[in-house]
Amino acid sequence: MKNVSAAGQTISRMWNWRITAACTLILILVMGAAVSFGPIHISFQQVLRTLLDLPSGEHGENRTVILQLRLPRVVLGALVGAALATSGAVYQTVFHNPLADPYLLGAASGAGLGATIALTSTHHNIASLLPVFAFLGGVLAVLTSFFISGKFFAEPNTLLLSGIAVGSFATAIQTYLQQRHSDALRPVYSWILGDLTSASWSVVSWSAIYIGIALAILFSVSKQLDGLMLSDEEAFSLGINPQRLRIFAVGAATLATATAVSASGLIGFVGIVVPHLVRGITRRVTNRSLVSVALVGASFLVLADLGARTLLSPAELPIGVITAFVGAPFFLFVLRSRRKANF
Amino acid sequence: MMTSGSITVTDLVVHYGERAILRDINVQIPHGQWTCLVGPNGAGKTTLLKTLLGMTPYAGSIQDRSQEVFKNQTRNIAFVPQSPSIPQGMSVSEYVMLGRSKKDGWGKESKKSRNLVKEILVQTALFGMHNSFVSQLSGGEMQRALIARALAQEPDLILLDEPTSALDLHHQIAVLNNIEILKERGVTIISTMHDITLAAMYAQNIIVMQSGKILLSGTADQVIHSPELKAAFDNRIDVFTLDTGRPVIVASKDFPINSQ
Repeated sequence: MKNVSAAGQTISRMWNWRITAACTLILILVMGAAVSFGPIHISFQQVLRTLLDLPSGEHGENRTVILQLRLPRVVLGALVGAALATSGAVYQTVFHNPLADPYLLGAASGAGLGATIALTSTHHNIASLLPVFAFLGGVLAVLTSFFISGKFFAEPNTLLLSGIAVGSFATAIQTYLQQRHSDALRPVYSWILGDLTSASWSVVSWSAIYIGIALAILFSVSKQLDGLMLSDEEAFSLGINPQRLRIFAVGAATLATATAVSASGLIGFVGIVVPHLVRGITRRVTNRSLVSVALVGASFLVLADLGARTLLSPAELPIGVITAFVGAPFFLFVLRSRRKANF
Repeated sequence: MMTSGSITVTDLVVHYGERAILRDINVQIPHGQWTCLVGPNGAGKTTLLKTLLGMTPYAGSIQDRSQEVFKNQTRNIAFVPQSPSIPQGMSVSEYVMLGRSKKDGWGKESKKSRNLVKEILVQTALFGMHNSFVSQLSGGEMQRALIARALAQEPDLILLDEPTSALDLHHQIAVLNNIEILKERGVTIISTMHDITLAAMYAQNIIVMQSGKILLSGTADQVIHSPELKAAFDNRIDVFTLDTGRPVIVASKDFPINSQ
């Protein structure tokens, strides 16, 4: 008899390790390419020399372009992509719903309302606080969904429905504010489609802290998330407190999402496309390959941003247009293929 | 593994909102034996099973080895639900290996666990499909995978909610034979079951429930031949005894269907 169980586990562990290593390499290459390409083309080698602070690296204007314009934008794109993709995978596990995305509980609508309040405010200094307003809006919307659902996550479907209701309510207020302040329509619209143009090392540093904390929490509980794929009774019998774990996981995923949204606006489809892509490649439950999901999410968004700023150069496309352009057909493909395959 | 003593339920009351689902439950469920909860739909069997698991809040007391069971996760229990949530993208061997999570730690697998899971996959006739996704299994195979995961837990107590519902007779017997492996190992088994004939074939003890209360409890033989059994099902069942001495309980054909 073949020792398939043991061999299978070893192979799958090696497979996981190789996938993670490959995803890391791809991310490094994609980030390098993203820093290299743009209206001013700088070779990959020169980018590397400049980053390593070698004497043969770029100086003057090109150095500023690399270190102060492109690199923070690429790093922010990677952070936001990792946050949205990981949160999407976690939401899909927690809600037993392969089409769940990080904006499910009203985070997007709440952040949109927060951003609209900041942009339509008559106090000009409030507009500069847009990320703070968006962050608070997103977190408050999710918290409201939790409290309205009553039993505080005892019933995931009730929470999901209250998230939809809170999201609709926030969108209604946002639309009303936009109608009252038509001069803010363009900036609000631009923010909704998402962009990374405001990236700076300051934005990168505070985003990295919150997203880093959230991802560390999610990676640390990723194995236990297997238990949430079962019924609550089964999870309990396996030593998990399902309600507490769900709150923990959704709390961390919401922190990552709210931070991503406040730094870059609403970038859709990353949270759905990437987990399914990784699951398709690794043939593994997504919460078992959360690190790979984060790495692929980072690469996906950096590539999307590269497309956004180079396809119609010197004009820029909103990044949300690129992600939706790829994401929408993929979403439909998932819907169709799920009917055919049991995977 | 402890096989003496019992789970002692005293004055148990369970409410869902304002509605009392279980009332005045007083019963002793012996360790190391198979006890079956039977009764019509809505009798409270599943609620009692989940309350024994320790997840459902209750008034009264449920003592298992001198410990109150509510939110007590130190007990080694396996739970087999009637309608399992089927994880997408998880292989059969990974699914069975989940049963070792409490012992090995989540995401870890000891060599002992890998060997045990392999043995169990062979025992439950799942070895050939261990690399298939659980989402691709048939109803009977899925039920065997659930039992295999429970076996991997090496539990002291296993709770099964209608383990044979929606299975044809052949698969019902296959699943019940797998559960019997646990009985032989001295594990306490508590299951709900609609088919009283099967309950009498496998369980040592039967508890008959109706409208949230225990109507009758005792050894399988006592309960099956008790006149109160028919009363529990509003006299809608008939009890026959085969030449082999084995009892057969069937729905009464003469009872008018629209009569309440």
